[in-house]
Amino acid sequence: MLTITNLQASVEGKEILKGINLTIGKGEIHAIMGPNGSGKSTLASVLAGREDYEITGGTVTFQDEDLLEMSPEDRAREGVFLAFQYPVEIPGVSNTNFLKAAVNEVRKHRGLAPMEPKAFLNMMREKMALVEMDQAMVSRSVNEGFSGGEKKRNEIFQMAMLEPKLSILDETDSGLDIDALKIVANGVNKLRSKETSTIVITHYQRLLDYIVPDFVHVLYKGRIVKSGGKDLALELEAKGYDWIKELAQEEVTA
Amino acid sequence: MSEVLSLQEKLVKEFIRMEAMLNGQAQAPVHAIRKQAMTRFTELGFPTIRHEEWKYTNIMPVVKNDYAFNVHNTSTVTKSDIEPFLLPDVEANILVFVNGSFAADLSTIISPKGVEVMPLAEAFKKKATVVEKHFAKYALWQNDAMLALNTAFALNGAYIEIASGAVVEEPFHLLFVNDSRAQSTFAPVRNLVLVGANAEATIVESAHTLASGENYGFTNIVSEVVLADNAHLNHYKVQQDVEQSYFVGALHAEQAGTSVLNTVVVTLSGGIVRNNLSAVLAGKGADTHFYGLYLVNGKTLVDNHTLADHAVAHCTSNELYKGIMDDRSTGVFNGKIMVRPDAQKTLAYQSNRNILMSPNATVNTKPQLEIFADDVKCSHGCTSGQLDDESVFYLRARGLDKEQARALLLYAFAGEITEKIQLEPLRERLESIIAERLHQELVS
Ligand SMILES: Nc1ncnc2c1ncn2[C@@H]1O[C@H](COP(=O)(O)OP(=O)(O)OP(=O)(O)O)[C@@H](O)[C@H]1O
Ligand SMILES: [Mg+2]
Repeated sequence: MLTITNLQASVEGKEILKGINLTIGKGEIHAIMGPNGSGKSTLASVLAGREDYEITGGTVTFQDEDLLEMSPEDRAREGVFLAFQYPVEIPGVSNTNFLKAAVNEVRKHRGLAPMEPKAFLNMMREKMALVEMDQAMVSRSVNEGFSGGEKKRNEIFQMAMLEPKLSILDETDSGLDIDALKIVANGVNKLRSKETSTIVITHYQRLLDYIVPDFVHVLYKGRIVKSGGKDLALELEAKGYDWIKELAQEEVTA
Repeated sequence: MSEVLSLQEKLVKEFIRMEAMLNGQAQAPVHAIRKQAMTRFTELGFPTIRHEEWKYTNIMPVVKNDYAFNVHNTSTVTKSDIEPFLLPDVEANILVFVNGSFAADLSTIISPKGVEVMPLAEAFKKKATVVEKHFAKYALWQNDAMLALNTAFALNGAYIEIASGAVVEEPFHLLFVNDSRAQSTFAPVRNLVLVGANAEATIVESAHTLASGENYGFTNIVSEVVLADNAHLNHYKVQQDVEQSYFVGALHAEQAGTSVLNTVVVTLSGGIVRNNLSAVLAGKGADTHFYGLYLVNGKTLVDNHTLADHAVAHCTSNELYKGIMDDRSTGVFNGKIMVRPDAQKTLAYQSNRNILMSPNATVNTKPQLEIFADDVKCSHGCTSGQLDDESVFYLRARGLDKEQARALLLYAFAGEITEKIQLEPLRERLESIIAERLHQELVS
């Protein structure tokens, strides 16, 4: 599904990603953990096509195509979805209208006609139920005045509507209360299939109890310094990052 | 030898010619005011950019042009000429003026109960006492050359009087046509609107220039508006005119206790557009709303000067002007909030927000707060910048292309003003024009 090879990126002349290698197969869930500022969101943004970052090296292949050559909208249409760590508020644009435009763009890209209003409403209703969003929230402007948790839930609602192939969830769990965490995780699990893959960026092992990863990677200072199975998350939870930092230090000096 | 007269000199001559045609009306008290105003205009002269209030708006191109005055022939304009300017599917009182003169055959007065509506020229005779009481009492011309000029030539326009308690559903559409097809024409217009206690009304004002070749229309419309206790008035000004148009207009209102004035000015095109707006909050609990949207391109200049004058306690003013500027367009916003010593418990808010779509577009914003009372809540803010990149990226990350994302955001930005228009057919019409414009501009 996705192959990242020696990916390097910088912003304002500052190197942030220093050679990422990562391969994600169909149907897999990968968790990415790591201390604050290590470059997790940068990686997610680069994959989604944010233009602030300069790609200084490496390649990314998504479904046999060069992802880095695509515009952000084409990536979305091809099935890449980023659930933002900080979703923006867009006053005056209703969630419904926005999603209608987005869904129809994705359909157009796949050679499908725009959805009939009724079918669209039915789909909305079904996906709202999935993440337990109420109508009032959906009718409001995109994220405007939403609480932190509501914004995160809205991201997953959008993901449900757009049915992506690769979902990147950037700290979707932070800001969620315990019940909301279960709802969101449950939604993500219901949406996954053998054909879809997920990258879960998180600081907490707790989310991974619900969304069980096949692989866990630790990103530190722009590099993946350790990879393992889901037990790695437990180990990090118990021991913190110091040993990882030492590990990275040894690698650099070695 | 023919001497070359300046516009000001020509106006002086024109004033004398106009006086000669007044007959009995020359003895009326309002004419004494016209004369004083003419004298004052000649003293002040046309404002230049050295004048603080005209710093960013150079009207020299307006002044240098040669105009015909008081072209009383309204028959040059036909029903099909004005057809595009009418609001579709609205039952309205439509008062059409051509070059400042009332065009009866183009107008429809359905005159609902409790309404007296007529050309001001007629009101000068029929409603002399009422007119004398209000004329030039709110549009203070003594230190404003353009107001003095308008007052001197105040011969016609709309007179609307809403009786106490009358709730008028049908809007009044005041449609001003400047026919400059044969030659550049100067058209002064003066309106007087009196809204009685507990009465409610809606006015739509639009000015349109018919121009050809090198001809420019110069339209100068001043409205004086008086709201009695608890009166409600919605005033919508729609400005979508040709490039060869100069517009200098003003609305000056006085509001009694708990009255509500809701003004929305939408400027979509034109040559030079200057709007002055003021409301004196003169009765306890009066509430005024100033909303404006300017969505302009080319070389259009839009200048909005506003004044919320809090004269007494417990009044509210709320102001939001927004601009989307493209190409080489220029925007000017000058918003003044005056809180006089008696105006305790004033709530006054003002905000001006601009999006610059082109590096050659400029906007000059100046908030002015003059606060002489201590127990008040006032705030103001202004922003000018590009569209928010974060928002554009967010929308693109969901599959919308760049142009769609930008159009959606700009439409929403403008929507905050258009949603203040309670007259649904007008709001829908403007919204569809705006949507189309944004689409065209961004895709091309
Ligand atoms: N636009 C930018 N301008 C300057 N520095 C940036 C920019 N974006 C990211 N950075 C820097 O890049 C580094 C990595 O940031 P990033 O947001 O990717 O970290 P993260 O791993 O997601 O952290 P967190 O766990 O706190 O979310 C940080 O030092 C950050 O300050
Ligand atoms: Mg982050």
